[in-house]
Amino acid sequence: MELEREEILSAIYHCVKCKLCSIASFHPREEWLPLCPSGQFYGYQAFYAPGKMEIFRALLEGEITEPSDGLLNAVYACTVCGACYEKCKQITSVELGAPDLFEAMRNELASKGWIPDVHKNIADKIKETRNAYGEIYEYKAETTERNADILYYIGCTARYRVPEIADAMLEIFNKLGIKYQVMDEEWCCGSVLFRTGQVEEAKELVAHNAEEIKKSGAKTVIFTCPGCLKTFEKNYPDMGVELVHSTQFLLRLGNIKVKKLDMEVAYHDPCHLGRDLGIYEEPRTVLKEVANVKEMKREREQAWCCGSGGGVKSAFDDFALWSATERLKEAKEAGAEALVSACPFCKRNLKEAAEKEIMAVYDIVELVNRCLEG
Amino acid sequence: MDQTFSNQTFLKIVQGIVGEENATDDRAICASYSRDQHWHFVPAKNPAYVVRPGDKEEVREVLMLANKHKIPVIPYSTGINVRGLTIPVHDGSILLDLSRMNRIIEINPEMKTATVEPGVTFGMLLEQTKKYKLRPAFPDAPLTVSVLVNYYLRGIYQTSATDGHDHTLSYEMVLPNGELIKTGSRALSNMPYFRYGVGPDFTGMFNAHPGTCGVVTELTAKLYRLYDHRRAYFIGFDDVSTSQKFIYNLMNDELAASIRLVDNQSWLKGICGTFDFPYEKLPKFVLCMLVEGLAGIFEAKDNLVREYVKDAGGELLDFPEEFKRTFEDESLGGAEKSCMVFGLRGNYHCIGLYGPLTLAAKYYELHEKTALEVGIPKDHVHFYLDPIYSFHGQLCYFELDIFYDGSDPGFGAKLRSYNNKQFHKLLDLGIYGWFRPYAGIIEPTVERIGYLSEVWKKFLKVLDPNEIMNRGKLF
Repeated sequence: MELEREEILSAIYHCVKCKLCSIASFHPREEWLPLCPSGQFYGYQAFYAPGKMEIFRALLEGEITEPSDGLLNAVYACTVCGACYEKCKQITSVELGAPDLFEAMRNELASKGWIPDVHKNIADKIKETRNAYGEIYEYKAETTERNADILYYIGCTARYRVPEIADAMLEIFNKLGIKYQVMDEEWCCGSVLFRTGQVEEAKELVAHNAEEIKKSGAKTVIFTCPGCLKTFEKNYPDMGVELVHSTQFLLRLGNIKVKKLDMEVAYHDPCHLGRDLGIYEEPRTVLKEVANVKEMKREREQAWCCGSGGGVKSAFDDFALWSATERLKEAKEAGAEALVSACPFCKRNLKEAAEKEIMAVYDIVELVNRCLEG
Repeated sequence: MDQTFSNQTFLKIVQGIVGEENATDDRAICASYSRDQHWHFVPAKNPAYVVRPGDKEEVREVLMLANKHKIPVIPYSTGINVRGLTIPVHDGSILLDLSRMNRIIEINPEMKTATVEPGVTFGMLLEQTKKYKLRPAFPDAPLTVSVLVNYYLRGIYQTSATDGHDHTLSYEMVLPNGELIKTGSRALSNMPYFRYGVGPDFTGMFNAHPGTCGVVTELTAKLYRLYDHRRAYFIGFDDVSTSQKFIYNLMNDELAASIRLVDNQSWLKGICGTFDFPYEKLPKFVLCMLVEGLAGIFEAKDNLVREYVKDAGGELLDFPEEFKRTFEDESLGGAEKSCMVFGLRGNYHCIGLYGPLTLAAKYYELHEKTALEVGIPKDHVHFYLDPIYSFHGQLCYFELDIFYDGSDPGFGAKLRSYNNKQFHKLLDLGIYGWFRPYAGIIEPTVERIGYLSEVWKKFLKVLDPNEIMNRGKLF
């Protein structure tokens, strides 16, 4: 465990169970808007942040000595979206956030071997294939110039589950005449392992990717996946390169010629991009160039999570799809005809839920590519 | 618990009542209910089962089963619990989590009432009542707390002085034997809008026990007007006693919607909505006041208030507009930023009590003196006063607060020492009553109430002969 026991217990002892972390700011709109997908879906106190902290305390103080279904569900059926902490810190100014605590709790559990089988399987797949989905085929992407300043880190989800995002990003480079590299041997960034407490298993991935990037000579690494970007920012050593999200990159290109769509869209803040990395404005600025943007009630720091992250999609798919459906309903209520995100993982889950809700789901780079005059 | 069957058999029976997914004995799930913020006084203890009924019939069946097998039951509403009131005392207890029962059964704008289930929070209720320009009476507790439980536990202190003290009109309660009691006019008709329906005030008789008498499944409460015309004032005072005359004038003439006297280092930060302000440069106490009313009446009240302000003996403070807006929100829209007091040092301890305004300065003096005696630093000592209309007996709610680092066990020992001394000292000085049945408070209190304590115990024995309703803590 990276955090010291005393540090963890001190943070836990600062939770006075007000549970304001479970709703979006009430004033001045005075609307009751739940913020914790896990608590809202499962209902027991164990699934809200104060309950999870109590479980962590009981673990550290020796009151829980055996694994149980309830323990694994409460600890792992959480997207670690961090919405609870964004609300908590406004009120309590507590420094150690709930996502860090919950990841430390998973690390503690994983060290005892108390981890859902499906998460263990992901670690096995990564060990075998170097990607989180265990796919053995390769996504086709070609470097246009060796030693180009730009390197596009594609990520497992855009390679193997929503390749339209990677396709769009590569087409944007090509249309704009930007030379780029992709990694010959891109391994999983390790995000899913870090988020599910399997820190040791991620070390080899970090070492490999960091070495490959250093060797590439690239100055800037671009990510369409905020989960990968967060992992590189938080868990990787300094590689002497700039790490940027696709929307930051597009914004800095300045006035690229795009033809705006006649489409009302809502923007969904990915948790890793927004709450973890503080990137809220760049995606909105880019999106406004290509579509008419409608804000949803829960947005930016208090956005409702899509339900996919933290290992939830793989282990608790019914919960993941319920969370996504809630988000799609909110987008509809805002008057949007499509929901747009900036994360392959969000898109995948939202799109799957949208099959019932009949709403289009895009990543920003898809719309930019569509509007870009090539 | 009698040992006629195993825990697993019992769980299966309960699951048969509420559904498999709504009852568990999982140790981790149970552990999440094992503490509130009062751990220095009420240590962690797991319930044996957590049961989440979905309606009153399920509540009734679970209670009857528990009563039959003498299993303690701890009702629990929305998950914001203080002072150890929902922490089990006995092994083998059922924690009855009522959060699924979150229906607003009726909002009646003509009658100015709302009828709610236990899982309805103040935020949920205001979201609906504001459509009719009505609001509930808010406690200065997070708006995530249960309306029903706050009103049932006792007439609450509130963020609006004009609301008075008693907000409950009637309710229905399931007793351990499965019988349903309806209080007030609810007992006689389907109009639950009058508190004193038949015989004694049964609505009041079941309130404010140190445990519970049964499980309240539905409660009808008063709603209050929301006015468009409002103005906030902040007036600084160097001491408590100087403010007393001004508070008396405001209350006597029924001029202010909200009046709160707080020190400049605790609640004021939440009332203003920010930690980032030079509060330490303000006078030691700040009276936060809100005037509201219909056009015409509002202006008249406001003019009178301004006249009183001139002679208040305090300093009219020029606060930013956003502070005033936050104060309005917190007073008449439910407490959210007020909870920033949790951010001062992490945890809070308080003795809340009712008493007359005439003793305000003495309560504060005693608070500071006792705290210093047990080694609590002066800068941890804080104060809060809320006068309550219609001001008979100069009724005020007082809070003697100490904000502290909850992870410091040494400080916990000081607080226990503080309580042991302070309960007796306050009783000696004179109070109207305690706000909550704090751990350790009932013993010195019962010593002083004579035969009433015997009557009280017998009353509870009739309602709950097997003593399953979490009474073991006190009686």
